[in-house]
Amino acid sequence: MRTLRDAFSFGDLPLVERIGFAIFIMFCTLFPWVTKGSFDQAVMIQFLIFCLYGLGWNLIGGYGGQVALGQAKNVGMSAYTVALLMVWWDIPFWLSTPLGVVVATIESFVLGYFLFRLRGHYFAIATIAVSLVWQQLFINWDLIGGARGVELPLKETPNFLYMQFASPIYYHYFAFLLVLAAILYMNWFRKSRLGYQLRSITSNEEVAESLGINAHWVKVKAYCITGVFAGMGGAFYTVYYNYIDPFSVMHLELSVMIALMTMIGGAGSMWGPIIGAMILIPLDRYLGAWLGGSGIIGVDFMIYALMVMIISAYEPKGIWGIIEKVRARR
Amino acid sequence: MGTKKERVHPDCVKAAIVAAAIVAVLSMGFGMARAQGQEVKIGVIYPLSGPVAHAGNMSKDAVSLCADYVNNKWPDLPIPIGNWEGIPGLNGAKIKLIFADHRGEPDRGADLAKKLIIDEKVVGICGCYHSSVTKTVSTVCERHKIPMINPESTSPVLTKRGYQWFFRATPHDRIFVRDFFEFLGLLHQGKVPGVKAVPKSELRTIGACTENTEWGAGTRDVIKEFAKQYGYEIVSDVTYPHESPDLTAEVRRLLAPKPDILMFASYISDAILLTKTMKEFKAKAKVFWSQDVGFYQPKYIETFGNDTEGILNRTVFSKKLFAVKPVAKNINVEFKKRSGVDFMGTSARAFTGMQAWAYVLNEAGSTDPEAIRKTAETIEIPGKDLIVPWKGIKFEDVGGETNQNTWSSGLIVQYQAQEPEIIYPLDVATAKFVYPWPGLK
Amino acid sequence: MEMLVPTIISALLMGMLFALVALGLAIIFGVMNIVNFAHGEFLMVGMYTAFLTATVFSIEPLLTLPIAAMVGFLLGIASYYFLVRYLLKGPMLAQLLGTFGLMIFLRYLAMCIFGPDYKTLEQGVLIGKSIKWGSVVLSYPRLGTAVLSLIAFGIIYWLINRTRLGKALQATALDVEAASYMGIDTERMRGLAWGLGGATMGIAGALLTNFYYVFPTIGILFCMIAFATVALGGFGSIKGAFIAGLIMGLIIDLGGTYIGPHHKFALVYLTYFLVVVFRPQGLFGW
Repeated sequence: MRTLRDAFSFGDLPLVERIGFAIFIMFCTLFPWVTKGSFDQAVMIQFLIFCLYGLGWNLIGGYGGQVALGQAKNVGMSAYTVALLMVWWDIPFWLSTPLGVVVATIESFVLGYFLFRLRGHYFAIATIAVSLVWQQLFINWDLIGGARGVELPLKETPNFLYMQFASPIYYHYFAFLLVLAAILYMNWFRKSRLGYQLRSITSNEEVAESLGINAHWVKVKAYCITGVFAGMGGAFYTVYYNYIDPFSVMHLELSVMIALMTMIGGAGSMWGPIIGAMILIPLDRYLGAWLGGSGIIGVDFMIYALMVMIISAYEPKGIWGIIEKVRARR
Repeated sequence: MGTKKERVHPDCVKAAIVAAAIVAVLSMGFGMARAQGQEVKIGVIYPLSGPVAHAGNMSKDAVSLCADYVNNKWPDLPIPIGNWEGIPGLNGAKIKLIFADHRGEPDRGADLAKKLIIDEKVVGICGCYHSSVTKTVSTVCERHKIPMINPESTSPVLTKRGYQWFFRATPHDRIFVRDFFEFLGLLHQGKVPGVKAVPKSELRTIGACTENTEWGAGTRDVIKEFAKQYGYEIVSDVTYPHESPDLTAEVRRLLAPKPDILMFASYISDAILLTKTMKEFKAKAKVFWSQDVGFYQPKYIETFGNDTEGILNRTVFSKKLFAVKPVAKNINVEFKKRSGVDFMGTSARAFTGMQAWAYVLNEAGSTDPEAIRKTAETIEIPGKDLIVPWKGIKFEDVGGETNQNTWSSGLIVQYQAQEPEIIYPLDVATAKFVYPWPGLK
Repeated sequence: MEMLVPTIISALLMGMLFALVALGLAIIFGVMNIVNFAHGEFLMVGMYTAFLTATVFSIEPLLTLPIAAMVGFLLGIASYYFLVRYLLKGPMLAQLLGTFGLMIFLRYLAMCIFGPDYKTLEQGVLIGKSIKWGSVVLSYPRLGTAVLSLIAFGIIYWLINRTRLGKALQATALDVEAASYMGIDTERMRGLAWGLGGATMGIAGALLTNFYYVFPTIGILFCMIAFATVALGGFGSIKGAFIAGLIMGLIIDLGGTYIGPHHKFALVYLTYFLVVVFRPQGLFGW
């Protein structure tokens, strides 16, 4: 009961944040009815997927302060499980997704156990290394399609069991529900025991340990939860695009993008990942679509890179940091 | 403050009126422009930035050129589209191409396809170079019931999925690889001009070296399948990561069992590095065959000059065709003027793909997707109108494939003095086969 | 067995280059604890500099080394003063991602200026030449690269361990505050570290142009290997970078030849992962 109340009560947040959250919900709910543009809807869904990744990553990277740059491996792991179960044994989405998430979580647990023996840059680079190892293995593993990827067979009619629809509305609402669940979870998490433990480790690990917190264990737990979120995102990605290969779901740039987005929004704050995704995803997609066909190569990337550099140099706490500063000045 | 506000106010109104007037005039202008000439929009998705942007931009030039031929009067052009001035079947509607850049990412390609289909209301899609992107884009087309003509993706899987709205103009990797084994058979029988019959014992072992993305992995499977079927032995089977910093180990492994035949599938970056490394090894074999793309680009010839001597490529186009196909020569002049390079395999196919679109639209006489699909299923475009040496374009369902152009065929060309001479099929051959491959020194 | 000797030889030759690439990263990390994602892009800039100087003035590619080193040096210093200086105040995440931004920026700036075309050098003393004894292949560009890498490595090693400047650099690495009390301008030392890092990459890039193609996105290939190399050797350890570079060369070539080329990168990262799990400070780290 307590858990549920904690998850659903946003009472401790300032009014502005509650209003902001309400606007976000309204916006996402009404979006498919207001806009007619399908590209806008595609960007919106992309935004929701990245919200999910970012909210999960924020746990370990933001609250936990661990620079883990290997989220893509969890995304890929779950995406592959879902896709292969569907292709090989025709198992519906609703059964294969939990399995995919479980696979991603177990992987997080096992590797997290070893990875968290490392600190600082060693940890960051080890996470990159591990995700690259997985990517290479998946590329060369002929049994699961290797570099050719896995394509889901297209169903004739819209199919709820296999999550195949022609209209993006269904995908939109499903992704939105996932994001809402993630936000509720985060709302519970920040008030939970694990949340306090994790933040105390981030601010000072030695003090936390002296208080009897098993820092290693807490970090591994947080890492597993991150894996769950990434797994959900990966499963959704699979049915949404109907095709996965090791380059699109296990790429290093995906991992970096997730971290980048969270940092730009504000790592370690509740709304940071959403703000970050709200800025970066439309920027990336619209700039790409706008400049892509124009013959000027690279300008969209340069604008994007400049923004990343400026924010990381002047406001490493991201947009949320700026908001907090403004609020403190009042 | 109050007075200031009042003073500003009239200006604001004026500004608003002027702005409104400008907007009104502009929108009227656009409206008129739209009303004057009918347009039929085709969405073209290519990798216009990112590592393979070069190929994407060449394809873009090629399809733009084709659209230009259709839309304007070209009295010198010896094929019908030169006199069309728009598509006759659609009352002279002009083709308008809308380009999108997928950067080689399948998900971006799918999103852009939705943008083109629903927001831009294109009548069809053309693209996408990468087989992986073609997969997701064709899925979007299938779901939205919009026809897609694919000019150049060669992964055999694409036409095996039973898609009704996806049409492929190019021969695929199975056809290309089979052609090569057929050619080896002719070589054994002594039917290839320039060489005496080569005993099978002399050409028996294969070293396959393929890059490790969708396309290379697919080629590898096909090579394995046909090698078994035709009785050759694969002695080294090397796959390497696309864009690798070093390929020494790969080349060493490839050459160690001394294969008679070398077979490659590489993008340009890897093709350059592979050839450089093989040159260090002073590689020798009897036959060197590769799957177009990396080994068949102006840049490749420019880089290696006479070292390219004797290398075989599968392709659908060669400059040497100009002798038998004056139309190709004519169009190539214009293409070179615009993009600075001659037609090669990829760009020639992109041109042909757009031409197929023009013919299909003309015959359909409607922009209704279902009508276009029906027309595409029955259309027969004669080979004499094309720049590629095919029998023509006819999309048919054969052997578990749907809507594959069965009138298409591959060529095998061999670099001789830096010119791609046609070796196979024998009836269009332009030069004698140089055997064995001189090797890299 | 007959493949073993040639494999080891070519592995060590390539290893020297990997060591040089890792060196720059090690210096920067040693002085200020920051991992530079844009490291590979410095290499790319070095390659373009060498390529352009060699083709525009039609000079021997080896003579472009000092120019490439100079450009790399300036680029390193500029990166420090315009970006990294500010990044250092923030958390590690911002540092990593800030340099990631720099990487994307440099890469697509090059794409914008030079276009997505693969460029190669055709003329040069070493280019395209090799000798072959039996199964041993010695390629001149690789041999030259290895020798010059070794020399460059030696010079930097000497600079850091035997000169006043190097001592000041080391002092800054050990303790910034103490060093500044001793009258060392630590800010300048940090800039210098970036300059040196950039210069080594410029040299590596110019050497690489002798047998590699030039393209805006090639940085990341070498950057990832350099990351693993530096972490394997121990961050900030110059000796470690050298030995780890050779180890990387051996893993890539031996693994590629005997286990399978498609697994060679998986092997590199796996080795790194296993080493750091069991020896978290790397082979020679403190």
